[in-house]
Amino acid sequence: MSAARVVGQDVPRVDGLEKVTGAAKYTADLKFPRLLHVAVVRSPHPHARVRDVRTGKAARLLGVRAVASGRDFPLHTGIYLKDQTVFATDRVRFVGDPVAAVAAETPEAAAEAALQVEVDYEPLPPIFDVEEGMAEGAPLVHPDLGRYEVVSWIQPKAGTNVCNHLKIRKGDYEKALKGSWRVFENVFKVPQVQHVPLEPHVSVARVDLAGKVEVHTSAQSPFTVRHLLSVCFGLPHGDVRVHVPYVGGGFGGKAGINLEPIAVALAMRCRGRWVRLMVDRHEEFYATVVRQGLTATLVTGVDRSGKVQAQKMHYLWNCGAYGGYGVNIVRAAGYTCGGAYEFPNVWGDSIGVYTNRPVGSAYRGFGMQEIHWALEQQMDEVALELGMDPVEFRLLNCLGAGKATVTGQVLDEQSGRVDLCIRKVAGEIGLEAAREKRPYHGKGIACAVKAPAMPNDAASSVVLKFAEDATLEILISGIDYGQGLMTVAAQFAAEALDIPVETIRVKGCPDTDLSPYDWQTVASRQTWATGNAVLRAASEIRRKLTETSAEVLGVPVAELTLRSGHVVHEATGRSIPLTRLVMGYQFPDGHAIGGPVVAASSYLPEGLLFLDPETSQSAKPVAKWTFGAQAVEISVDPETGQVTVEKVAACYDVGRVVNPGLIRGQTYGGIVQGIGTGTMEELVVDTKTGRALNASLMDYKIPSTEDVPAVMTVDFIETPQKDGPMGARGIGEHTMIPTPAAIANALYDACGIRIHELPITAEKVWRALREREKAREEAAREAGAAIAGAGVGV
Amino acid sequence: MKAEADGDDDAGAEILVSTEHLAPFPGLGRETRIKSQCTWNVAPRGGAGKRGLMRSDLDYVVPSTVEEAVALQAGSSGAVYLLGGTDLLPQMRAGRKDPGRLIDLKRIPLLREVRETEGGGLSIGAAAVMADVEIHPVVLARYPLLAECVKTVGAWPLRQRATLAGNVCNASPAADTAVALLALDATLNLVSAQGRRSIPVSAFFRGPGQTALRPGELMTDVILPAASAGFTGSYLRLSRRKGMDLATVGVLVGKRNGKLTLAARWRIALAAVAPTPLRVPDAEQVLEAKGSIAVWEAAELAVAACRPITDLRGSAEYRRDMVGVLVRRGVVGLG
Repeated sequence: MSAARVVGQDVPRVDGLEKVTGAAKYTADLKFPRLLHVAVVRSPHPHARVRDVRTGKAARLLGVRAVASGRDFPLHTGIYLKDQTVFATDRVRFVGDPVAAVAAETPEAAAEAALQVEVDYEPLPPIFDVEEGMAEGAPLVHPDLGRYEVVSWIQPKAGTNVCNHLKIRKGDYEKALKGSWRVFENVFKVPQVQHVPLEPHVSVARVDLAGKVEVHTSAQSPFTVRHLLSVCFGLPHGDVRVHVPYVGGGFGGKAGINLEPIAVALAMRCRGRWVRLMVDRHEEFYATVVRQGLTATLVTGVDRSGKVQAQKMHYLWNCGAYGGYGVNIVRAAGYTCGGAYEFPNVWGDSIGVYTNRPVGSAYRGFGMQEIHWALEQQMDEVALELGMDPVEFRLLNCLGAGKATVTGQVLDEQSGRVDLCIRKVAGEIGLEAAREKRPYHGKGIACAVKAPAMPNDAASSVVLKFAEDATLEILISGIDYGQGLMTVAAQFAAEALDIPVETIRVKGCPDTDLSPYDWQTVASRQTWATGNAVLRAASEIRRKLTETSAEVLGVPVAELTLRSGHVVHEATGRSIPLTRLVMGYQFPDGHAIGGPVVAASSYLPEGLLFLDPETSQSAKPVAKWTFGAQAVEISVDPETGQVTVEKVAACYDVGRVVNPGLIRGQTYGGIVQGIGTGTMEELVVDTKTGRALNASLMDYKIPSTEDVPAVMTVDFIETPQKDGPMGARGIGEHTMIPTPAAIANALYDACGIRIHELPITAEKVWRALREREKAREEAAREAGAAIAGAGVGV
Repeated sequence: MKAEADGDDDAGAEILVSTEHLAPFPGLGRETRIKSQCTWNVAPRGGAGKRGLMRSDLDYVVPSTVEEAVALQAGSSGAVYLLGGTDLLPQMRAGRKDPGRLIDLKRIPLLREVRETEGGGLSIGAAAVMADVEIHPVVLARYPLLAECVKTVGAWPLRQRATLAGNVCNASPAADTAVALLALDATLNLVSAQGRRSIPVSAFFRGPGQTALRPGELMTDVILPAASAGFTGSYLRLSRRKGMDLATVGVLVGKRNGKLTLAARWRIALAAVAPTPLRVPDAEQVLEAKGSIAVWEAAELAVAACRPITDLRGSAEYRRDMVGVLVRRGVVGLG
C-alpha cells in the first residue's frame, strides 16, 4: 500500500492474521508450569455480617496449596473511591461477594476445598432499589463510607448510601419553570445489564521467591491494574508487573481492576507458583461487574416557540454493592445530563446509591445510553405534544457553536455538528413530517453525545523504535480488543513518516515493565490520545532522521522530506534509504553518526478545569465531545408485541475518519449492542434472595445474527477536532448510545405507545397496546353514553 | 440429553422452564447445598480410546449393544443414560443431576439408525442426532412437521449432537420436537431388564422433567406411523430473540389434505404453555367438523386447554393470549 494518505484508508487490521489463524494468544491460552487453579467462596447472602471465616478444613485437603480470606488483606482498593477489600472482611454486600478463595492443584480440588471453607453469616436487611437506599433510616451498605479514601472530585455522603452526588445548577430553573408555557414530567428506568464479553474474566498471578508480583490478565488497563494492585497490597509499583495478552472483548467490564487481587492474594500464600482464577459464564454474570441501573425523573418547561427554557434532571443510579468505579459514571452523567441540547436553566442531580445488587461499573457508553434513554424520549414527547416535528424540535434546541452546555462550557466551531448528524439520519430514514404513515410501522430518531469521562490528567504514551531493516516498532499500552487501535496507531505513524503500513509492527500486548504508560483503554479515548502520542513521537523520529541526513547530504534540515521510506532532498533528488539511517549512518571512511533512532512521546489533555463543587459550572470540564444521531425504522406485530428493527441510520461527527472499515464495524457493533440493551437485556435479581435469576446465556439473551437489522447505513461528518490527531475524536462508545431511545420513539410513531422502562420486550408492548385498547373502548363507551344522554335531553 | 433411569429429582416441578437460574453457585459457601461439586471437562483419560468425564468418582461406560446398556444400568444405582448430553451435562454442571454412572448410548450402532419400518412408518433411533433427522429424505417427504420443529432447536452445531429421544426424555414443557411427535401420534419403544414395551407419546409426559419411563428403562427408538404421513403446516414460535432461544410459546398447526374422509385432517399441539407439551383434540375436532372457518373457536379451545405459568420468559397472561394468536395464524396460514 502506498504510504501516502494512509489515514482515511481501509487498511486491513494489522492483528487480523494473528486473530483469524488462532496465533493470537489470550490469557486462558497461556501455559504455565505447575499451574494452580482457584475457586472462590462467594456470599450466598445479599447483605450479612461476616462473623467468622474458618479455612482450616479446606487448607488440610489433598492438593490444596493456599487459602486466603478477608482479615489477611485489610487494604481497600477502587479506582476513584476505595470502598472494596480483596475479600469481604466484616460484611458481605451482594450475592457473589468474595469471602475467601482457594488455590489447588486441580480445579476439582479447589472447588471441593471451597465448599469446606466455613463462614458464619448474620443476615442483615438488604436493599435492592435506589428509592429504598435513599429512604430515611435505610440500612447502610457501607457504614464506613466517611472513612474511605476518595479522589477530590467525587463527593460521597457519609452516613448515607450515597456514594456520589453531582449537582448542576445553571441559570434560574425555578423562575424559568414558572415562566414556561407548558411543562412535561416523566420517569424513565434502566435495569442492570451485563457486558457479556466473548472472553470471560481471567487472571493469572505469581509472587516469586524475591517477592515480586507478576500478573497476566484479561484487562483493559494494565497500568491501572498495576497501580491498584500496588495500593491494595502496599507494594512498590516497581515490584508489580502486569502483562495483558490479547483481550476478547471488555465493553468496560475489564476496566479498572477486577479479579486480579484475588489471584495475587493467593499467589502470596504459595510463592513461586502460578495461580489462575478463571470465572465461567455463570460467575461472569453476577460476580464480575454489571452496568448500573438508573431511575431518571425529567421535568421540561418550554416556551411558545418550542424552545426549552427550564430543564430538571434527577438521576438516581443503582450502583450495586461497590462504587469504586461507578461513582465516576454518576459524575459523567451529571455533567452531560442535558445530552445534545442547550438548556438555559438547569437543575440537575446525579446521585449514586449503594444497594445489595451486583457491582455496577463501566459499560460502553458510561451512563450515556441510560440518560439518553430518558432524555431523547422526553424530547420526542415534548415535540409531539407541542405539535412540532421531532426533527425540527431537536434542531431548534440542540447544541452547536456559540451555545453553552449544562456546565456553561461554550462550544466553538470545532466542537462538532449534531445538527448535521440529525439532518443526515432523518434523510436516510425518511423522517420528513409529511411522510406517509403505515399502521404499526414507525420511524424514530435520537441524538447522542459523550465526552471521555476520565481524570483531567489521564495520559497516554508511546515508544517508536526501528529494527535494522527499518521496520518501525510501536509500543503502546492501549488495548486492542477489537476496536482496531493497533491498526490506527500504525496508520498514523505510516502517514506521518511516509512509510508503508506493512513495515510497521505494533506491539499491542503490553507489559508494564517494558511498555510505556497508558492510563486506561476506556472512554473512547485511544485513537485520540494514543494517536496524538504517536504523531508526536513520529515528529521526533522525523527530526532525528532528517538531522542525520542533513549532515550526510550537507543540506539544511528544512529542505529534507520523508518519502516512501527515504529521506529525500527534493531540490537535488538525492536521498538516503531509512535502512541506512535507523541504526546510525556510516560514512565510506567508516565513521558513523546518529545511532539507533528511537522516540518516546506522550499526550495529556490540556486546559481541563474541575467542576465547581456546588454548581458544576466549568468552562472546560472535558477534553472533547462527540455528537451523533441515529434514526430507525421498525415494524410492530400488533398481536404479539414483537418489534422488528428493520433499518438503522447512524451519523456521527468524528472529526476525521481514520479507517472507514473499522469505524463502520465499530458502528454496526454499537447498533446491535444498542438493540440488545434496547429490546432484550436485563439482569434480573430476585428481590427476596438477591440472586441473579438469569445468570446464564440461556435466559440472558443478547442479539443473534437474526436480530441484526436488514439495513444499516453509517455516515460521518468530519469537523476536525482541534487537538485531535489529524482532527479525529472518539467514537467507540457513542455508537450504541441513541439506539434504544430511537427504537422507543419509533414505537410511539408506529402505534402511539411509550415504554418508559428498558428493555422494550414484546410482552411490554403487548401489554401497553392492550391498555391503550381498553382506554379507547372506555372512551368510546363514555362518548356513546354522552350522545345517548344528549339524545334524551333533546 | 438422556434417557433417565431414576425418575426425576427435579424439585422445581412447578417451574415451567428449566431451573438453571436456581442452580446453586459452585463455591458459594457452606450454606449452599451443592450436589455436584466438580468442574467438568471432557478429556481423554487412560489409554486406547477409553474416554471419561473427569470426576474422581464418576463411572463412564460405553456399551455397544442395548442389552449391555440395560445390564450396566441395572448394576448401578444412580446410573443414567447419556445421549448428546446437551441437557444432561449442563444439569450436572449446575449440580441438579449427580449420576454415579453415565452410560453412553452413542456407540450402539442400532440406536443410530433412521430406517423405514415394515408397516411404512419411520423408526428414528434414540442416538440419531437431530441434524440427521431434519434432513432425512423420508422425514422431509412424509413428516415435514417434524423437520420444521427440529430446526428450531438451538443451532446447527448443537443439533449435530442433540437427539430427538434426548429432547423427549428431558421432558421440558418447552420441548420443540415433542409437539411434532404428539401431532404425528408417535410411538416410543422402550426396553429394560424387565422386557420391551411401546407407549404412545401422548402417554409419556407426566410433568416438567417427568416421564412414564420406569427405573432403568431405555428408549430405543421413536416410531412415526405410516398413518401420520402427509401432514404439513407450521410450528409458530415466540422467543425473546429471533434466533437460538427457548420458546416462550410454541404452537404447531398441521393439516392434511386428501380424500380419506375418515382420516383426521387437523393437528394442534402446544409447547411451553403447560407442565407438558400437549395436543388440543377439542380444537382439532372443531376444525375437523367445521373447517378453517372455525378458526376463532379453535383458538379459544386451545387457550382454554393451556395452563401456562409466569417465569422469566413471559407471563401466564401473555402466553395464554399468544396461544390464541398463534393458533389463528397457523390455521389461517393453512387455509
